[in-house]
Amino acid sequence: MSETSRFTFVSTQRRVREDRRFVVGKGNFVADIDVPNMKHVALVTCPYPAARIKSIDKNAALAMAGVHYVLDGAELAQGTLPLMTGLDTPNVPRRPLAVDIARYAGEWVVAVVADSRALAEDAADAVRIDYEKLPFVLDAEMAMEKDSVLVHQAHGSNVLLDKTFTWGEVDKDFAAAPRHLKLRVKWGRSSTVPIETFGVVTSWDPWREILDVWASIQMPRYNDQIGSALKVPVSSVRVHYDVDVGGSYGVKRGIKHTVLCGYLSRRLGFPVRLIEDRLENMRGGDAHGPERLFDVEAAYGDDGVIHSMKMRALENVGAYAGRSPFQLGKPVGAIVGPYRIKSVQYRAVAVVTNKTTQEAVRGFGQSPTNVAIERVVDEVANTLGLDPMDVRRRNLIRTEDFPYTIPSGTTYDSGDYLALIDKVLAHTSYEELKKKRDALRAQGMLAGIGIAAALEPSGGNATFEALLNPNVTTSTFMDSCRIAVDGLGSITATMHTTSSGQGHETLVGTVIGEVLGLDPELVRVVRPDSLNSLPSGTPVGSRMAIMLGGAAFEAAQKLKTKLTAIGAHDLGIPPERAVYERGEVYDRNAPDKRIKWADLVQIAHRNYHRMPPDMEPGLAVSHVMQVPTGGKLPTADGRVQMYPCTSFEFHMILVTIDPALGRPEIALYRIGHDCGTVINPKIVRGMTMGGIAHGIGAALYEEFAYDPEGQMIAQSFMDYLLPSSHEVPPVEIIHQVTPSPNTVLGQKGSGESGYLGAPAAIANAVNDALKPLGISINTLPLRASVLGDMIAEATAKKAS
Amino acid sequence: MKLDIGGEETFDSPIERVWSALNDPAVLKQCIPGCKDMITQGDDRYKLVLALKVASVGGSFEGEISLSEKTPPSQCKIAVSGSGSLGNGTGIATFSLTPQPAGTLMRYGGEGEIGGLVAGVGQRILKGVAKHLIGQFFTALRKQLAAPVS
Repeated sequence: MSETSRFTFVSTQRRVREDRRFVVGKGNFVADIDVPNMKHVALVTCPYPAARIKSIDKNAALAMAGVHYVLDGAELAQGTLPLMTGLDTPNVPRRPLAVDIARYAGEWVVAVVADSRALAEDAADAVRIDYEKLPFVLDAEMAMEKDSVLVHQAHGSNVLLDKTFTWGEVDKDFAAAPRHLKLRVKWGRSSTVPIETFGVVTSWDPWREILDVWASIQMPRYNDQIGSALKVPVSSVRVHYDVDVGGSYGVKRGIKHTVLCGYLSRRLGFPVRLIEDRLENMRGGDAHGPERLFDVEAAYGDDGVIHSMKMRALENVGAYAGRSPFQLGKPVGAIVGPYRIKSVQYRAVAVVTNKTTQEAVRGFGQSPTNVAIERVVDEVANTLGLDPMDVRRRNLIRTEDFPYTIPSGTTYDSGDYLALIDKVLAHTSYEELKKKRDALRAQGMLAGIGIAAALEPSGGNATFEALLNPNVTTSTFMDSCRIAVDGLGSITATMHTTSSGQGHETLVGTVIGEVLGLDPELVRVVRPDSLNSLPSGTPVGSRMAIMLGGAAFEAAQKLKTKLTAIGAHDLGIPPERAVYERGEVYDRNAPDKRIKWADLVQIAHRNYHRMPPDMEPGLAVSHVMQVPTGGKLPTADGRVQMYPCTSFEFHMILVTIDPALGRPEIALYRIGHDCGTVINPKIVRGMTMGGIAHGIGAALYEEFAYDPEGQMIAQSFMDYLLPSSHEVPPVEIIHQVTPSPNTVLGQKGSGESGYLGAPAAIANAVNDALKPLGISINTLPLRASVLGDMIAEATAKKAS
Repeated sequence: MKLDIGGEETFDSPIERVWSALNDPAVLKQCIPGCKDMITQGDDRYKLVLALKVASVGGSFEGEISLSEKTPPSQCKIAVSGSGSLGNGTGIATFSLTPQPAGTLMRYGGEGEIGGLVAGVGQRILKGVAKHLIGQFFTALRKQLAAPVS
């Protein structure tokens, strides 16, 4: 990779430093936190999709040995404020425990505190709650209807958000285009299902007035939210960021768990811990992902060039809303995908129903949208009898078009999509693959090729908040890094959030090592608690390589500048003549005149008389990073620069379906991937492989399904099917590096790679396989049971 | 979830013997799977305490069982409702007894609705579980019928 040869440590195959402690089983997860005198919480949940809580009998539970407290929603509501939400919907309050009415099967109603989790669970069994069943609604389209049952009576409707944007001359472009098509695509309710469920430990110290919080968390403004719900200053909330998080990809947002435990610790005077079991996590952990219905229309020419698109995205957010309706907002930043579509109409609708509350999932709504776009592109090809590869080539943005501004206002930074596709096809011939598919078909198998070209907007800022809620004026989403060199010359850098396996310590060490020309292993990376931290937006939105990497880079530059100034002053030369190199400063005109690292440290820490005048002693620098290209609010017609970078991925796969079984199997998987400069190849590879496995799950297996009575029927791994090593095929990754002009090293994000294109590629492949039977399917997950029936019916029809 | 149950069973005992066994709380307590206690609440109304395990969840279950529309010795309606850590359930079933040359034929049928945890984790196997529990009931009932009348 000649593009990256300018680096010493960046882009090299270095180990991921966090791996050592995980491999030997020495991670420090929330379940490893043991605070003296800690008590345990268990929950009583509502068995009905909607019910009025008529009475709660706590006596039997309270009488049990080892039981300390039984908390209900009414008391908790007295002592706390509702949880923070993204939209202004005051009549849809979200609280940790249901008050008067429970709105989904599994919603928490009562919390029991006991000496052990087992005792708490036994006592939870003994709590008697008298319910009156209420009518409920599960389906998003039904919930939108005028006469629908209302999930929140006081809100007056089930619609939380209904906003239409028109970018460009949509009507004109539709009228001018000779061809139109309509497609309905459904993305089923799935999530990320981390190995570690959510857990939190809280402890209140009344004499210091500090609430200590250890949690398996990945949530923006977590400390702000805790402080405001508990009605204490945020300076009284100390979140310990040095807790390892066992997987998240967006869903580790246990704010309700934390507010509940925080309240209990303050009320009871001892530390409490709540760690979900798997059932609690899947049913009432509020960690479901998007459930989205797309109605898409495309206007295109006989050549397959798509001129305009109309998309309605209807999101079923579940019973309450946190940030989740915003998952309709992020895709605005890549609403045309990698294509030169001139105009777009986008209607974003979010409704509440009597299902589990939704949270953020990897890609923040982008992967479902990518499926809708990619299915449309394939259908355009189908209707014209053109090859889907050719149709993509005709529509893709060309490298000379960059920077390219899409109709919704975001400027894509850089890319060379066609070159990456050519690289993939040079590796695996498309013509050969088609022959292979046709040979399989000749043998009686169903076989299909799926291609998908997808974008990963990265470097997340929060502009979608202002786009969907004009009362929000947030135009930054900071991240920061502090570097201190101690009195004996060791380097310690800080980051100010938790990590959920993304390798941020490796990232910060590598970037600082690169700037300072020192071995990254020499850079200690730690996470202080929230009271000792600089502002941080947390590792969401595929942003940390760009934002934390950027902050570390800029802080290291400041350190370098200071060291250079100290060296120049001590050498008695003007700063511009001084050169910093690998920890030393020398005179450009006399390279032998140099000051070593130890002496620079000695001057800064102990010899103020040798420092340049008016310079702060010591070696401590920090940088708070603004999102590149950010800082503006949306225009009146809803145009705004969203994310600063766009990574590109191109998937090409072969799927076979035995017509007797209906079960899709992936026979070949190739992905071309371009996330600009790669800081650590192992991390990017891990993200991409994991993302593809995640995408296979969403496309084929995973769904939090509900029965017509409102019960979630997939709340264990018997029914919520995760892809295993049997279902995830070998994947070959073909790399390309197109640096971003907007970032310090040319890097782009990779936290969502693979996931953003895999479901689209699989949906296209399955539909290509079904094509000879004249049938198609656009409902994900593409279940073997459904496919089997469809294939049988179509085969019978064909035979008759 | 909704659950349809129904079937036929034959017993060696005469119809009166089957009828009285089915109306005897002491016999029913022995026959209902997982029954820990059965307390008479009134005429043909009992409080039930069960301990059951379905799929990966197990737990206690408290409920009520009542018999109505009785036509001795041939017909009866049974209503069951209850809730517990496992979830909740309601069910209504009728059974009819017909004398046979060598014993008694029972026909039964009804509908249940099950909610809560058990509906979610065990739905795929609930029908099988219901069948299994019903089978256990009849096996135990045959044992009771075979025992000498006390």
